Amino acid sequence: MDLAKYRTLFLEEATEHLAEISRALLELEKDPSRSDSLDLVFRMAHSIKGMAASLDYAAISELAHALEDRMDVFRAAGRVDSAAGLPLLFRGLEGLEKMVKAVRESGEPGASDPELLLLLRGAPEPAAAEAAESRPKKAPRRP
Amino acid sequence: MTRVLIADDASFMRQMIRDIIDSEGYEVVGEATDGVEVVEKFKELHPDVIMMDIVMPKRSGIDAVKAIMEIAPKATVVMCSALGQETLVMEAIQAGAKDFIVKPFKPEAVLTTLKKVLEKGV
Repeated sequence: MDLAKYRTLFLEEATEHLAEISRALLELEKDPSRSDSLDLVFRMAHSIKGMAASLDYAAISELAHALEDRMDVFRAAGRVDSAAGLPLLFRGLEGLEKMVKAVRESGEPGASDPELLLLLRGAPEPAAAEAAESRPKKAPRRP
Repeated sequence: MTRVLIADDASFMRQMIRDIIDSEGYEVVGEATDGVEVVEKFKELHPDVIMMDIVMPKRSGIDAVKAIMEIAPKATVVMCSALGQETLVMEAIQAGAKDFIVKPFKPEAVLTTLKKVLEKGV
């Protein structure tokens, strides 16, 4: 596989998708039940997930997958919860933007934010923060 | 030569499928970027196989399979799915798709699936 060619394609297309997600989230701020925007964010996250997985950018694929799944919940509900849901989606977008920028600059996406992943997967905020903080302490002890 | 139509809204994915199947001598006769365009291109180009993404704008891959089956019940459609889309894949197979491949694509899996559906000739 010509990695350089696919990395260039990924950067171009992921950047366009992130801009579309940003525009759609701004639309959802005005109208949380706007179905075309709900669908678009879902599709763009799905597409980024597939491209990133093809290039072994696991952190991007994982975050895009969590965002896609969260959007599926909002699509089923017919609206975004604007108090908690929308800020979370903006955080997801920001996380993806950072990682795509890191790929552009260094060739690698870096690590994902475990708290954000947990929140997107539906964990309550205090529990997600606690789980993210306690993660390094969970190294298994030798008997 | 086997003629293939590729439908995916991501140019990255279309290029990846094209590169994999070009290498084995298949002819890519066209590309579509949404679920409406793929039905139009199917009518226009009469491909032997359609590689169809499930999640596409305007009309989903599953709805596009249903539309193609109404036009040509023996059409050969291979779904391009992702992990976690098992239910949608089953729906597509029930709608008439012959098989599926899972992203991220492994060239050998794509080619094996293509050969299998073409040998079946259903």
